[in-house]
Amino acid sequence: MANVKNKNQQSGRLVIEGELTIYTAMELKDKLLTGLSTTEELELDLSGVGEFDAAGLQLLVMIKQEAADLGKVLRFTGHSPVVLDLLDLSGLAGFFGDPLLFVYKPTHEGKST
Amino acid sequence: MIPDEYLQTFVVECRELLEQMEEALLIVEQAADDPEIINAIFRAAHTIKGSAGMFGIDPIVVFTHAAESVLDRVRSGDIAMSSVLAALFIEAHDHLSVLINHVAEDSHPASEIDSHGKSLIKQLEAYLGEAVADQPDHSGEMPVVHQSKLEREQSDEVGTDLWHLSLRFGVDVFRNGMDPFSFVRCLSSLGSIVQLVTLIDAIPVTEEMDPESCYLGFEISFSSDADKLAIESVFNFVRSDCFIRILPPRSKASEYQRLILELPEQEMRLGEILVKCGTLTPEELENILRFQSEHGDAPQRPIGEVLVEQQLVSPPVVEAALEKQKQINDHKKSEANLIRVDAEKLDELINLVGELIIAGAGTNLIARRAGMADLMESTATLSRLVEEVRDSALALRMVQIGGTFNRFQRVVRDVSKELGKDIDLVISGAETELDKTVVEKIGDPLTHLVRNSMDHGIEPAELRIARGKPAKGTLRLNAYHDAGSIVIEVSDDGGGLNKEKILGKAIERGLVAESANLTDKEIYNLIFEAGFSTADAVSNLSGRGVGMDVVRRNIQALRGTIDLDSVEGQGSTIRIRLPLTLAIIDGFMVGVGKAAYVIPLDMVVECIELRAWASDEGDGQYLNLRGEVLPYRRLRDHFDMEGERVQRENVVVVRYGEHKAGLVVDKLMGEFQTVIKPLGKLFKGEKSIGGFTILGSGEVALIVDVPGLMGQIEHERGMGEMTVAMAAK
Amino acid sequence: MAKTILFVEDSASVRQVMKSTLTREGYEVIVACDGQDALTKLDGCKIHLIISDVNMPNMDGLTFVKTAKQLPAYKFTPIIMLTTETQEAKMNEGKAAGVKAWIVKPFQPPQLLAAVSQLIQA
Repeated sequence: MANVKNKNQQSGRLVIEGELTIYTAMELKDKLLTGLSTTEELELDLSGVGEFDAAGLQLLVMIKQEAADLGKVLRFTGHSPVVLDLLDLSGLAGFFGDPLLFVYKPTHEGKST
Repeated sequence: MIPDEYLQTFVVECRELLEQMEEALLIVEQAADDPEIINAIFRAAHTIKGSAGMFGIDPIVVFTHAAESVLDRVRSGDIAMSSVLAALFIEAHDHLSVLINHVAEDSHPASEIDSHGKSLIKQLEAYLGEAVADQPDHSGEMPVVHQSKLEREQSDEVGTDLWHLSLRFGVDVFRNGMDPFSFVRCLSSLGSIVQLVTLIDAIPVTEEMDPESCYLGFEISFSSDADKLAIESVFNFVRSDCFIRILPPRSKASEYQRLILELPEQEMRLGEILVKCGTLTPEELENILRFQSEHGDAPQRPIGEVLVEQQLVSPPVVEAALEKQKQINDHKKSEANLIRVDAEKLDELINLVGELIIAGAGTNLIARRAGMADLMESTATLSRLVEEVRDSALALRMVQIGGTFNRFQRVVRDVSKELGKDIDLVISGAETELDKTVVEKIGDPLTHLVRNSMDHGIEPAELRIARGKPAKGTLRLNAYHDAGSIVIEVSDDGGGLNKEKILGKAIERGLVAESANLTDKEIYNLIFEAGFSTADAVSNLSGRGVGMDVVRRNIQALRGTIDLDSVEGQGSTIRIRLPLTLAIIDGFMVGVGKAAYVIPLDMVVECIELRAWASDEGDGQYLNLRGEVLPYRRLRDHFDMEGERVQRENVVVVRYGEHKAGLVVDKLMGEFQTVIKPLGKLFKGEKSIGGFTILGSGEVALIVDVPGLMGQIEHERGMGEMTVAMAAK
Repeated sequence: MAKTILFVEDSASVRQVMKSTLTREGYEVIVACDGQDALTKLDGCKIHLIISDVNMPNMDGLTFVKTAKQLPAYKFTPIIMLTTETQEAKMNEGKAAGVKAWIVKPFQPPQLLAAVSQLIQA
């Protein structure tokens, strides 16, 4: 199950652990929006994400767009392997624009698998 | 690619299913139109077809498919089940058994078997009428082929070598358990994804976004040698929920143009994507867009319109179906909790338990000899546990006799057809349990008895009517437990035995003296004597050289007995009495001289001191036991043992069936649980010894075969009487 | 992390073969011999895919699937139904219960593997 920790209210940091999937999408949507509403600058730590699917991806797109709409800063950090894998496959790495650590390919552009 | 041992599972499984199918068919043939039973037949066919298909055994698949199709129609009520149809299914069942046997032996059926199968399929298909069974579909749900007409005009072709896939997933895709990326990953197995663009344009604003709805789409350029069908099949499971367009390499420009029109995104954005994907070159895109505006096609169609047109909304769901949720049909069969165990492993376990019992008995003896109270207490606990282990181990091998009984449904059906008699089989006590090793051995004797009853017992219909009986004869198989034995009865409501005829024949054959005064029962039981046959005409069924004496021998070999009751004009009952298990008995140990004997405990009625309670009537044959005449025998005499009689002899009164007898022994040594070890061939002639066992001390004790011993006493007594009778003459 | 598949089928031989085939492909496989058995095996554990026969004793596949779908842990679990069933009513009943994937029996292991790989990857 997903586990969200709001470690530090001031710096606005959310840690998502476990599943970022359809099973947790409903609760995570609320948590992400709440997290974003309390701060101007939010860091989403994805290092503990063990499962990640299209529903999770959609959620990241949504919060990224929401942050942009509100003029807030949102950063994803510590992408876990499953997150990197799907971002790579979807070709959306560029959309998120965060510094990623692709071991196998240097660009952020969509690539073939 | 499928290992052999799995094929063995398949064969065993099919045979079980065929047995169930046969049972059900025989019930159905008798009239019952029970949907549950028809469903059981269907399910058996269904499972056999499914498994056979997986093993690629096509003849069985094709054949079962025909049967299954008809059964399906029967199930749905389109075709009525009749005895004719049931008979056809029984034939089909037999044919399937033959096919399965060939699988088991890894052989090919002969051509006549093949043609027999074909003729059965024809007969089955006749029931389907015009809706002849469609061939089994191997490919799963076939995709609706969005086959655009691919007239290829060289001039109009787009120059790419890549496939182009456009996918827009429906909102329910996540909820249906599908992950769009999963299909993409799967696609990689058919070729390589050159470029993939994930479309997030459809994700609504935050408030309206349902995180469990899917809003994604993909544009993919794909390099692959696979054909269109193969690529389409990747999306089989999602196709009703997804807008899918697949354009092969070098499709016409107009195809792309139509694609752009159909897709929900704005055409410029799509165009860019197509170029980005490498599907179109910028020039090609420009041409397409220009062509489009020249022809005045509306360049910007509302998104919604296209969505609806492309059925992004799945077809209306039949809500009512949910409510019709049937009550779970709680079958008594709790197959879920069964595991299959190799019978050999069980035998090994029971052997070990046997050794354990012997070892335990040894410890017991030592403890008693040493007189250590603590040790005796602890060995007592141990023996109780060992006893429980023994019981559970034996229970593992206990099976219900019902399976054996049910096989006779078929025998009775076939034999009554053969004889032209109408006979019903009534089974009771099917849940009575007995040891598997015993069950395996009673099949043949039972078959003989059943055939015999049907052939000689039950009269032809005309005679029955003349005697005021229902035209339909009844054969009963019954089983129950009685005093550590299982009793199996085969009874019929036929003519019963003719005493005079039997006696006449027995005298003629020299089996009894003419003047012998026999009870009815004794006369009836003469039919079990060797060389006795009453059938006036040797019919096809009986008189196969296997007489009732062979049946009796088989039963006796199982430490059982057989006897017969009959009422003339009303029928006969044959009663077989068998031990529940052949492996272990609770024994009662007695001593004669220095030797120890074990008497099966469940046959022991009481123990008395000879002088104190019973008196020898003087003829050395009978005791007066509280006024009851009890035949007796000194084991010392019986086994020709040397040595003096002891002062205080004891009598062990044993009972077997309706007979009682006294066995005189030197001392009583108490209860003793023991494992029966069979005697060697050398002792085969010794009827009064059933086996031996090894005592904890390492000594051997013989196990008294009470029925055998009693039979011997009676026989000798009879001989004596005969001698007397002859002498008197 | 290996993906876990629950395989529900009353035929022991099909179970045996598919378990070994799927295991060889790198999936974790839990087998059950009917719907009732399958329900006891679910028990809250993470299942990535359910493959179930329709016609089974004790509890048929559709009843099982409907019951499983009521459980929060399996609300979104993809389901493949194995069936020779071509009856429209059963299919609709299945669709209403959230079944999207039907594989028509008889099938051979590669066919099922192909279908599985469309929904989840080992």
